[in-house]
Amino acid sequence: MNNTSLRSGVIFGILGGLVVFLFGAWSVMVIGVIIGLALGLTFGARVKEKDMLKAAQHELVPASVAAAVLVAISLLQNFVLAPATGKVPSDIGIVIAANIVGALGLIFFAGLTTALHALPPRQEQIGKLALLAFLIVTFPFIDSFAGLRWTPQLIFALIFVILGLGLNIVVGYAGLLDLGYAAFFAIGAYTTGILSSPQHDIHWNFWLVIWIAAAVAGIWGLILGAPTLPLRGDYLAIVTLGFGEIVPVVFKNLTKVTIQDPITCWILPGLFRLFGSSTTTQCLTLMRDEDLTAGERGINPIGRPWLPFIGEFQSDNPIPWYFLILAIILLSIFLIRRLHNSRLGRAWMAIREDELAAAQMGINPVRAKLLAFAMGATFSGFAGAFYGAYIRGIFPSVFDFSVSIIVLCTIILGGLGNINGVIVGGLVIMGADRLFLPALKDFLKGLMDHTVLPALASNHTLQLAVSQNADPILYRFLLFGLTLVIMMAVRPEGLIPSAQRRAELHAAEELAGPTIEEEITGPTVPEGKQA
Amino acid sequence: MRAILQRLVIAALAIYIVLLLGPIAGFDVPVIAARIAADPPQQLLQFFIIGIANGSIIAIIALGYTMVYGIIELINFAHGDVYMIGVFTALTVLSVAGTIGTNPSPGRIIVALVVALVIAVVFCATLNATIERLAYRRLRNAPRLAPLISAIGMSFILENIGLIWAGQAWLIPSLGTTGGASQKAFPDLLTSLTAQFGLDVNLLAGTGIGLRFTAKDLLVIVLAAVLMISLRLFVQNTRMGKAMRATAQNRDAAKMMGIDIDRVITTTFLIGGGLAGAAGLMAGLYNNTAWWFMGFRAGLQAFTAAVLGGIGNITGAMLGGILIGLLASFSDGYLNARWTNAWVFTTLVLILLFRPSGLLGEQVGQKA
Repeated sequence: MNNTSLRSGVIFGILGGLVVFLFGAWSVMVIGVIIGLALGLTFGARVKEKDMLKAAQHELVPASVAAAVLVAISLLQNFVLAPATGKVPSDIGIVIAANIVGALGLIFFAGLTTALHALPPRQEQIGKLALLAFLIVTFPFIDSFAGLRWTPQLIFALIFVILGLGLNIVVGYAGLLDLGYAAFFAIGAYTTGILSSPQHDIHWNFWLVIWIAAAVAGIWGLILGAPTLPLRGDYLAIVTLGFGEIVPVVFKNLTKVTIQDPITCWILPGLFRLFGSSTTTQCLTLMRDEDLTAGERGINPIGRPWLPFIGEFQSDNPIPWYFLILAIILLSIFLIRRLHNSRLGRAWMAIREDELAAAQMGINPVRAKLLAFAMGATFSGFAGAFYGAYIRGIFPSVFDFSVSIIVLCTIILGGLGNINGVIVGGLVIMGADRLFLPALKDFLKGLMDHTVLPALASNHTLQLAVSQNADPILYRFLLFGLTLVIMMAVRPEGLIPSAQRRAELHAAEELAGPTIEEEITGPTVPEGKQA
Repeated sequence: MRAILQRLVIAALAIYIVLLLGPIAGFDVPVIAARIAADPPQQLLQFFIIGIANGSIIAIIALGYTMVYGIIELINFAHGDVYMIGVFTALTVLSVAGTIGTNPSPGRIIVALVVALVIAVVFCATLNATIERLAYRRLRNAPRLAPLISAIGMSFILENIGLIWAGQAWLIPSLGTTGGASQKAFPDLLTSLTAQFGLDVNLLAGTGIGLRFTAKDLLVIVLAAVLMISLRLFVQNTRMGKAMRATAQNRDAAKMMGIDIDRVITTTFLIGGGLAGAAGLMAGLYNNTAWWFMGFRAGLQAFTAAVLGGIGNITGAMLGGILIGLLASFSDGYLNARWTNAWVFTTLVLILLFRPSGLLGEQVGQKA
């Protein structure tokens, strides 16, 4: 017991330290709270104590260890690493204050979450949700107070969480591997762009356009899903990939669109000419040389949402955007939960397990699959509309294959078929991509410029090679690829698996006793009980 | 009667929609018809030659897809990227051998080309077999989509390696220091070789046919034909080839007959990777570019070719490769190059929907 508590304390301290050593002293406050929560939720769940205070006392040891590790790394960062990377160390008073706040926050939240486990299940749920809600709501304010500027990046992560939730319907619930999911994201974004940009003189209100974008994406989900239905799993993946490739190409090339009725425009004139008649017909033209998407230049600017008291959302203030995307996510989670437990949701899972058997039981697989595509695409449409309005400009190159794969990566890492898993996966992957790698790049660049490169001055070739390749952002595809390969090899059900999916993937090991992660985190709660 | 009428109406509607919306995707029938009528007949033949040469390269890559799919029913998504790595291997060897920039002698070029071919083939074969060992082998009995996802991950890893490789100016000075993301030049050695032997670049220049047929076209077509024929002979006539065919038919039964399945699969990946390496050298010499992302497009074209010919069928992959090459060439020539990939995909979707067994594949039931 004592041994594991020490070990988990050290592990979580190092995890937090990884972030702190890149972001500096201020981040200790935020990271302390997050690590405290994570510690309480994982390690604290094992504490079997009916008294809240006693339960919290159990958590004191690992939390203090984690806090000590965190503080040690923070101090190391400030006084050893910061000078080596050419940064000015923060003022000692601030560092000490931030570290004390962070360490206390860690211990407090770890104790609090552990104490919650001692409550009856229902109250425990409410308590956890309240704690989570409190943190989510206060986060952007703490962030802007600490000056970390994480909120804009978090908004990106949340956009990918919505995409992940949508893709999870198609891949996780219905078991259809969709490799062209970015297409629907693009369709949502371009619908928003075309309907609300001054470029087209339409200027519709964002609150209307976001629903239209979702509906248009959903309809395209039906249209693109329909031809793929007869295909087997891996062929379906390749065809959806094809659609994912074609859609951005189409958007890139819709710059001179001419739609004419072929009969009146050249079949009839051709016939007349053939018979020597000089009659001319009126050519029916829907549009002529219309520039719909402005090609590579993209649609820019795009209209923004407006609310009373807040006014039009601005790019320099991420807080309204944060709460908007949060609202969209909550709505999505609610809808997807309901879908999951509905007749349709059960039909999806039946099809995933065995399509033939499901069809025999009276499920219409065509209808269920089409609806899965359409629903998945709809959520992508929401994300696309938000993205367009938030970035204010959309370009075809943004929606390429890698987006589809990053979304796939988030749901595979988090756990196919499980909403909590998808959210965690999205936050981890996008946090790594948008926060951790850029910070690591800065850190390495500082380290290179101030410490490593001067030491290599004698060998010019080596110096050049090192300076060129010491950029972690260059390796992001490698990291995504490794995530997929390693997860498939080691833990195909994801970090936070759904109970059903896991049983499916580990059917052979069913009788072999508890798995490794059960040893660490305790037995998994069946999904139904969490809701 | 009624059924025929129904079909006629559907066909008429389909044609109407194609004519109505086709121009958006460059498929403007009257414009194209006018263009073909206005061009001299040689132009059509010229596109034909280009199509066959490019199609040969696609066919060689397609062989790798089709053999792997035939044996373990996996779309080896990383295969196109193995080919891309082949391009960079060949480029590195040619650069180290001193054939870039310094006006090398013909003997040196020929030796360097042979060495580059051997190294690219060996390297890509080893790489492909290693990928199988690391990423696919333990997933052989997992749900069907697991190895596919693993293959996609591998593809990303290889693309990233290509991106890094293309940024190493200290290794290959001709890559330049602009980083790995841009397209890099691959030396046009065959053209300089013909010039050094005192030949016209166009081998048909003196004949008055009015077509252009260069040493590049000749080499690509001949080499592709040699590779395809030897592969076919290998699969048909050797003991290992027989084992491969047996494993493709029924893995468990083959195992019971004493065939070492792991060895057969490794050999398949070795051959596929080696062919991709050879295709890499050929494509580099023919198109004179090296790009970290080229494997993705080439891979999709090659996969389409494999499906078109009937996946698992070696002759089919060759046929499919040539047909896709021709399609791409005519689309580049008469429609617009930016739509070519879209047309290749449309072909893929249409084949999968209407003839999933491909042109030469045998009819098999749907396997879930």
